[in-house]
Amino acid sequence: MTITSAGSIASPRRQSSSLRFSDRRKLFLLCLALPAIVYVVLVAVWPLAQGIWYSFFDYNLLRGGGRRTFAGFDNYVALWTDATARRAVVNTFIFTFAAVALEFLVGLGLALLLWRDGRFNRICLAFLLIPVTITPIVVGLIFRALLAVDYGFLGYFLAEWGISGPRGFLANTSTALPVIILIDVWEWTPLVALILLAGLKSLPTDILEAAAADGATAWQRFRMVVLPLLLPTVFLALVLRVMDAFRVFDIIFVTTGGGPADATTSLMLYGVKQGLEFFNIGFASAIGNLAILCIALMCAVFTLLIRRADVRANER
Amino acid sequence: MRARPRQVTLERTALLAILVVWLLPVLWLVTTAYKPPREIFSSPPTFAFTPTLFNFQRIFEMFDVWALLKSSLIISLGTTVLSLLFGVPAGYALARAKWRYAIAVAYFFLAIRTVPIIATLIPFYLMMRDIGLLGTWWAVVLINTTLNCAFVTWMMFSYFRALPRDMEEAALTDGCTLWGAFYRVALPMVVPGIIASALFCIMFSWNDFLTPMFLTGPDTKPLSVALLAAFGTKDITWGTLGALAHFSTVPIVLMALFLNRYFVQGLTRGVQ
Repeated sequence: MTITSAGSIASPRRQSSSLRFSDRRKLFLLCLALPAIVYVVLVAVWPLAQGIWYSFFDYNLLRGGGRRTFAGFDNYVALWTDATARRAVVNTFIFTFAAVALEFLVGLGLALLLWRDGRFNRICLAFLLIPVTITPIVVGLIFRALLAVDYGFLGYFLAEWGISGPRGFLANTSTALPVIILIDVWEWTPLVALILLAGLKSLPTDILEAAAADGATAWQRFRMVVLPLLLPTVFLALVLRVMDAFRVFDIIFVTTGGGPADATTSLMLYGVKQGLEFFNIGFASAIGNLAILCIALMCAVFTLLIRRADVRANER
Repeated sequence: MRARPRQVTLERTALLAILVVWLLPVLWLVTTAYKPPREIFSSPPTFAFTPTLFNFQRIFEMFDVWALLKSSLIISLGTTVLSLLFGVPAGYALARAKWRYAIAVAYFFLAIRTVPIIATLIPFYLMMRDIGLLGTWWAVVLINTTLNCAFVTWMMFSYFRALPRDMEEAALTDGCTLWGAFYRVALPMVVPGIIASALFCIMFSWNDFLTPMFLTGPDTKPLSVALLAAFGTKDITWGTLGALAHFSTVPIVLMALFLNRYFVQGLTRGVQ
């Protein structure tokens, strides 16, 4: 390191400073980092803390003049007793795991298809990423229109041929959530494919070639060599998608609005409804905190899995 | 891996077939906008139609499209500029600091990005109401900047960390200031990272719907909010909605296609 010697080099500006160079450097880096840290603390951490505080109060802007009365854990108890809240938790988990599992399977297939380098594959990938860039609201509207029973391209024929029932998939309590899961799969599978592809391309080629030279079949190579090496990337893709899928709001809001009969209500949707439509701030805050808790727990589990996968990949 | 020509052809055919099926919904959206109203609602649905710009005329009569575009632009550019101003220096500082907990701070930024917006939106809404910023572009820009600046910080942290320190050290020995080592030496080397981050911020905030829905007013609402509001009115048809959706999707799709290299970099780098 040349820091100390750099500090002693004669330069007018440095001599005028009474601080040592390494200290000035620390101060400089602190000045660069501080605005972002202060900003995030003020506009993200402070509201989060307020949300935790509010969740212990009976606080409704439309009732009792918006006064806050301490309610202990009432809001959290209500999360357990409220049928819609329970439904929302279950729906959110079903949605998250089903959507991410499908996205992973289809995404892995696509990534393997795209693995070969070349102009054709690059162009295919660029176009495949279009769903990721489309406004989620528009994605919801597209599928709502396509599934409309009276004139939608899919919905009309599905109803006509008796597959979906006369009111369509989105109006049926047992099919609405699966359909929304498929919409999410359509939107986000390309992203999963892209991340897995980046992982595939960074695999050490000598190991792959050695496996091929040893006469391993394609399936054996995939199962015994590619997959174990890819595992860290797989977990990263999964953790990213799980975090995002858990916060699903836009496509549900547009396609079903949480209905029919709460069949597609997610935690985010219910929280927004309670907080910003009914202004039930205390309860909505509790919903938000529950969502954070779930995400944090899943994060912890995934971090553990990633560590293990990393260790195993390095052992090989 | 050695490729046999037949297998390559097979793979490409499969890929092309998947791509076409995958993009059919998008194709439907694009074509609806050019269909006359009668043909959209034809039952059973038909594929053939005579193209018309009628729907585009209608949306310009029904909405102040330029004002909506302006709102979307102000929100996404404001968010992007603020996020880069906060995030790029912070990413550099965290990558260069020899402090033991620098990585922990970087992870803190990553954690902020995963927070569900509902948890911060409600207290933030009340905060904005109290200081009178509710219904302004500022409210949306301020809350979007938290998530985006956290994202930029994390991403730039990974770019700067991959950058060797030698150049900066050499510049410092030659009498360059600390600011100069950051601004003139390190920064030009991570321009691809900055472009990728900027693309992301623009995309996130342009496509965002939940925060502007509750934080903007009638004069400040962006395209994404207008799209859904339009849907509630009786006059709206899928055709006019498709036309309006053009304005909200085409800029981002084109950006992603033409700057694909940076876009792909951003998508893959942001998670590693």
